Amino acid sequence: MKMIAIIFRKELKDMMRDRRTLFFMIIMPFLIIFLIVNLSMRLGMDMEKRAQEKELHVAVLSAVPLPVFVNLLQTMEKVKIDTQVARTEINRAVNDGRLDFAVSFPDDFSEKFDSQGTSEVPVYYKASTSENERALGRIQKVLEAYGKQLLNLRLEKKNLTSAFVEPIKIVEMDISSIREKMGQRVGGMLPYLLVIFCFLGAMYPAIDLAAGEKERGTMETLLVSPATRLQIVVGKFLVVTASGIFTALSSVLWLYLVFRQSKMIPPEILSVVLKLIEWKSLLLLFSMIIPLCAFFAAILLSVSVFAKSYKEASSIIAPLNMIIIIPVLIGIFPGIKLSATTALIPILNISLATKEIIAGTISPLLMAEVFLVLFALAAVGLIFCTSWFNREAVIFRGV
Amino acid sequence: MIVVENLTKSFRLSKEQKKEKVAPGDCNHVDAVAGISFSCRPGRIFTLLGPNGAGKTTALRLIATMLRPSSGRIEVAGFDTVKEAGQVRRHIGFLTGSTGLYERLTPTEMIDYYGRLHGMDAALLARRKADLFRLLGIEAFAGRRIGKLSSGMKQKVSIARTLIHDPQVLVFDEPTVGLDVITAKNIMQLIRQCRGDGKTVIFSTHIMGEVSLLSDDLAIIHRGRLLYNGSYDVFIKEMQAKSLEDEFIRRVEEA
Repeated sequence: MKMIAIIFRKELKDMMRDRRTLFFMIIMPFLIIFLIVNLSMRLGMDMEKRAQEKELHVAVLSAVPLPVFVNLLQTMEKVKIDTQVARTEINRAVNDGRLDFAVSFPDDFSEKFDSQGTSEVPVYYKASTSENERALGRIQKVLEAYGKQLLNLRLEKKNLTSAFVEPIKIVEMDISSIREKMGQRVGGMLPYLLVIFCFLGAMYPAIDLAAGEKERGTMETLLVSPATRLQIVVGKFLVVTASGIFTALSSVLWLYLVFRQSKMIPPEILSVVLKLIEWKSLLLLFSMIIPLCAFFAAILLSVSVFAKSYKEASSIIAPLNMIIIIPVLIGIFPGIKLSATTALIPILNISLATKEIIAGTISPLLMAEVFLVLFALAAVGLIFCTSWFNREAVIFRGV
Repeated sequence: MIVVENLTKSFRLSKEQKKEKVAPGDCNHVDAVAGISFSCRPGRIFTLLGPNGAGKTTALRLIATMLRPSSGRIEVAGFDTVKEAGQVRRHIGFLTGSTGLYERLTPTEMIDYYGRLHGMDAALLARRKADLFRLLGIEAFAGRRIGKLSSGMKQKVSIARTLIHDPQVLVFDEPTVGLDVITAKNIMQLIRQCRGDGKTVIFSTHIMGEVSLLSDDLAIIHRGRLLYNGSYDVFIKEMQAKSLEDEFIRRVEEA
C-alpha cells in the first residue's frame, strides 16, 4: 500500500501541474456547460420571441366570404390577412415568402356545411423555418375555434348541446410531482454530462501516464524501481479515476453555478430545478460516478499502455468518445426505463439510474444492481489492465 | 556481481519483420539474445559492444528485470532476476541516453520520489540527496522544473536518480547517445568513479572511443550472439586489425 501511495501522490502532483489536464478538468466543463445552458436558453427564447413577434401574412381562400373566420384571425396579434390571392398563386407566394400561411377552404364548403358534411381545409406553409412551425400552432387554434363555432351552429339547429357530440371529456390528472416531471427532463441531460465528463476527465491523464511515459522514456526507469507492475498500475489507475471523478464533480458544480447566475432562466423554473438537487440524490449520483470513472480509467489506461506513443493513444481513444455516447442517448429515449435487464448494460444503466435518482423514484434493488454491475466491470477492467501491463509485448511495444 | 548463464530472449515477429528476418530463431520468432554467458565483477567496467540491433539493450533490460528470459538465468548482486526481481531492482541503478525524467517535477521532487520508491527513510534520503546534489552541482537548480533545465542539467539529475539508493550494480544503456561532448565526458567520469567505488558496472555502447577509455572487460555482441567475451587487454593483444574499430568490423563481418 505504501508503494501505491508513493506512486499515487507523485502522479497526482505531476498531473495537477499539467495545464492540459487542468484545462480538461476545470476550464472545459465550465465552457461547455456555460455554452450549452446560455446558448440553448438564448436560442430557444429568441426563436419563441421571433415567432410571437413576427407579422404573419395569411391568405384566406374561399369561394364565399367567411367574415367569422376572418374576424377570428384578426383577433390574433400581428396578422395581415389577404383574401384576394388566387388558388393558382398559393405555392409560389408561400415559396417566395410573400405569404406565411394560406388557408384554403374548398369551393363547396358552404354546401358541405349545410349537408352536415366535413370539409378538408388545407393550410399551406413552409415548415422549413422553425418560426413557421411555431406560428402554425396559432393558425391551428383559430381554425379549431372556428370549427367549434360551426359545430355549435349545427347542434343549435338540431336543438342539441355540445355534450351530444362529446359523451366523454378527458380530464388529465397528472399526479406526478414537479420533481418527477422535472426529473425526467433535467435527468436526461445530467447523465449525458456526467458520462462525458467522467470520460474526458480520465482520458488525458490516462494517455499521459502510460503512453506519455513510454514516449518520454520514464517508463523504463519506473520499471527498474522496486515497485511491482501491479503497484505501478494501481497507482496510475487511482490517479486517472480521481481525475475523472474530479472532472465530473466540477461539471456538476459549474452546472449549479451557471444555473444560479443565468438571468435567462425564469425564477420559478430555477427554484424548482435547484430544489431537485438534494443531498441524498447528490450522494447517490456521486457514489455511481466512482465505479463509472474506475471503469473508464481501466479501459483508457489499458489502451494507453498498449499504444506506442501519445499520438497513437489519442487516435485509438478518440472514437471511444462517440461509442460511449450511444448508450447515454438510448437512455434519453422515452419508454426506456431502468429494469433488471437495462441495469446490466454499462453506461445505459447510469443514464437511466440518474433520471430516476433526480425524479426520486429509484428502486433500491435496481440501484444495488447498477452498483454491482459497475463495480464488477471496474474490477474486471483493472484486472485486464494489470495483466496487459505485465505483458512484455504490450509494455515494450515500439520501445 | 552479475552472472549471465546461457541467456536467450525470443520475441514474436511481426509480419513485416518475418519478411526481413536476419537474426537467429524459428520462422515466427527472433532471438534478440541467443544463449549468451558472461559475468561482470565488482570494481570493473564490463563493456557490451555491438552495432545497432545487436541485442545490447535487450540484454541490459533482462539484467534490469524489465524483461524475463526465454531460457537461461541471470543473477544480480546474488539475486535471481526472475525469482527475486524485487531484490534485484533494489540493488540496481539504470541509466540510458534518454534522461527518463518527469519534466513537471523539480530535481528535488524527482530524487525524493525514487528515494521513497527504494524504501529509503527520510533522514538517509535527505543526506544522500544533499551529497549527490553537491557532488553533481545540482543545488543551484534543485527547485526548478526539470522541463526548464538544459540537457546537461537534466543528465545530472538523471545520474542522481540512478545513484540515490547507492546501488551495488550499475547498468548504463548507451548513456552518452545524443549528448554533447561535455555531458558525455561527465558520464564517463561517473562510470569510472563507480568502478573506483567498487561497484559492478556494465555499459553498452557502439562508440569505440568509449570502449578504449573505459573497458576492463569486453563482450562483442552481434545478432544476439557473443563474438568475444573476455578481458579488454587480452582483446587488444590478440587484435589482428590495425585499430579497435577495424578489429570490431572484422569480427562482425566474419560472423
